[in-house]
This record gives sequence, C-alpha cells and structure tokens, in this order.
Amino acid sequence: MTIRKVTTAAALQMLADAVMEDVASLEPGRLREEIPGWDSMGALMLMAELDEHLGLVLDADASRAMATVADYIAHLRASNALLEMDGDA
Amino acid sequence: MSRTRIDGFRIAGISTCVPPRRVDNLACGSAFGDDEVRKVVSMAGVRHRHVVDDGVTAADLCFESAARLLDALGWAAESVSAVILVTQSPDYFLPSSSCMVHKWLGLSDDCATFDVGLGCSGYPYGLYIAASLLKSGGQQRILMLHGETPSRFAASDDHSTTLLFGDAGSATALESDPVGTGWFCLHTDGSGYDSLIIRGGAFRERTPRDPRELMLRMDGAAIFNFTIKRVPALIAETLEFAGIERADVQAFILHQSNKFIMKHLARKCGLLDEQVPFTLEDTANCGGPSVAVTMTRALKAHSTPQKLMLIGYGVGLSWASALIDLPPDCLLLHDVYAESRPRL
Repeated sequence: MTIRKVTTAAALQMLADAVMEDVASLEPGRLREEIPGWDSMGALMLMAELDEHLGLVLDADASRAMATVADYIAHLRASNALLEMDGDA
Repeated sequence: MSRTRIDGFRIAGISTCVPPRRVDNLACGSAFGDDEVRKVVSMAGVRHRHVVDDGVTAADLCFESAARLLDALGWAAESVSAVILVTQSPDYFLPSSSCMVHKWLGLSDDCATFDVGLGCSGYPYGLYIAASLLKSGGQQRILMLHGETPSRFAASDDHSTTLLFGDAGSATALESDPVGTGWFCLHTDGSGYDSLIIRGGAFRERTPRDPRELMLRMDGAAIFNFTIKRVPALIAETLEFAGIERADVQAFILHQSNKFIMKHLARKCGLLDEQVPFTLEDTANCGGPSVAVTMTRALKAHSTPQKLMLIGYGVGLSWASALIDLPPDCLLLHDVYAESRPRL
C-alpha cells in the first residue's frame, strides 16, 4: 500500500487528535510520559489515525519505542510519510 | 493456501445464551476511576457485561444453548452424529468439555465428540470443521458449540480486560443439504502467540510464582496492529475467492472485539453502517461466540437466504472467515442462561 505524505504540522495535528492534547504543546522534546492522553488507548488512537490518513501501519514495538514527540516525527520521516519541503519538528 | 469451498450443508439454527448477571461498566468507577471508566466505555463501546457466577462454565452455557436449539428444531438426540465444542475456557484439562455436554444432552454413543482449542477465530473455524465433516459423508446432523467465559480470566485490577469481556455460549445446528455452500479462508500467525496469553496454570508453568500469570495478558497495541493488518485483507480475500462484491453481502458479522477497532475496520474496508451490526454494548466482547450472539441478536427475519460473512480474529494469532447463505427458515434464538434445563 502506498503511504500518503503529510506536512509535519499535519502530522502533529494527528498526534494531537489522537492523544487529545493541544497541538501547540507538542514540542519536539516533550516526553510521552508527560502527555496523559498518550497512554495505551492514545497509542491505539494514533495507530488508527496513521492507518486511516496515511495508510501507514505503525507496529506495536515502534509505537512503544516512541518516548518523545520528536520520536514520532522521526518515525514518520523514516517511513517516508513526511513531505520533504517541510521543516523539522 | 487455506481457502476452501464446501458444498452440501446448511445451518438449521443458532442458539445463544448469556449469564443473567449484568454488570454496568459505568458503575465500576470506584475500582478504576470514573474518568478512566468513561473513557474505556466510550472507546470500547461496552456498557454492560453479562458475566457468569462462580461455578458456571462455557460448557454450561453451550449445553443450555444446545438443549433449547434441539427442542426448537425438534431434533431427536439420537439424530445428532457429531458435537464439536470450540472453547478456550474448558472445565478441565481433561476430559474434553464436549464429552460432558454429550452426556448432559443424552446423545448417542455413535456420536463423534471433540473439543477445538481456538478463541476469537473459533466460530468460522468451527463451521469449517462441521461443514467438512458433513461433506466427507457419514454425518447428517452436527452441533457446533462455541462458548467462552473470558470474565473468569480477566484480572480484576486490569481495566483493559475486565471492562471489555463478557461471557456467552452458543450452539449451531448444521445438517446435510444438497444446495448449501460455504467459502472459508483460514489463517494463522503463530509469531504473535504471546500477544494474548495466559502464561500459567497449564503444563508449561503449572504453578506460576506470580499468580497474576493465571490471568490474561493482552498486548492491546499488538492486537490492534494485527487486526488492521489482517482483517481487511481477509475480507478482500474472501470476496475475491467467492467471486462477489461487498454489496452482495447483507451483513459482515465481525467478532465483537472493541467498537473502536470494529469501526476502524468497517471504514477501512468501505463497509456500510447497515452491513456491520454491533452488539457489544450490551453483551461485551464475549470471545469467539460473539459472532453467534450477533447473529441471534441483530439479524432480522428474511424471506430469502441472507449472504453473511462471518469473521473471527484474535488469540493465536488466528483469523478466519466463513461466507455462508443463511436460510430464511434458520432458527435464531437468544436468551439468558437459566440453569433450568434438565441434564441427563
């Protein structure tokens, strides 16, 4: 399945929607453990968002390995799901 | 590739039952916190769970479903030539639960009887085995029973399983029929065997040091990942194998795993809301029998056969589909377990 690409801003908005957090608070260095909504349920929401909007299946190990917002963005970049012209998170 | 078309059988009736004890998840706030409970209820879609009392087992629920079905169909006990009981909640390691149900129903000693150890994928697998037996000859009428009591192995302090699981039993009566046909696709990925597991209590670790290992461990992320990867492909495979389109199927009866997951699957597969019945709000995720429970609770009477795709997925990891034509005269019974049936 082809992965659809998005801007970093759109990717952050997807994370914000999944974990029910204000997107403005999702600084790259913010720790996952500081985000209450990024619990086991939030992780499922994020998997669903990525699958639905990007066609990207985030596996459980990769999901668990995300310790910061920057890790999330890095994973999307490594999965070739970010538009190149976009700035870093 | 495990794709099979099987001719020569029909489903004469399906009977399900759930325990009378009905727990309101929203009343569980003192144990898990009101906000957490509301969040889980909203996401998983389980408001109520029917759970067994101590001492009531999957075999009991299956027995009662089967007794009601035999009565309603007017099938004599001696006319049943095989019983298959699909469960991962057996009464004992040995004997098979099916042998006890065989006794309670007063079935003949000419009746083949065995258990199958599968969980959430168990309903299509059970139908496949029953249909295969009928096709192979020598069998005329088969009872395929599928029951689970997952509430008994959910740790009481684990909200992700306790608030999700209910219990149910089912009985499906199949018989030889020259015009009936089913298409079956069966799959396994054993690399995920530990994504849903009870580690202790069986022969690998009979008496675990940590008693928690006697309860279910669920890796929710891995299960979700497996589901969104495998189930859409299974639906597409089954349609292609049978040479039909999504619109030709009246209902996709999904294992009632979790509302969030099911809705995601339905959207991803382009299924219409009216094609995907949900019953887990009141009967929870009752394991593989949820497929049967959804048929008895959600299907309406039809004057023509209904084409249904039955889809089971979960522990194993195992996933399977059965595409069947449910006859218009198929009996669909659902009731509460009353422990009122005499046992032989």
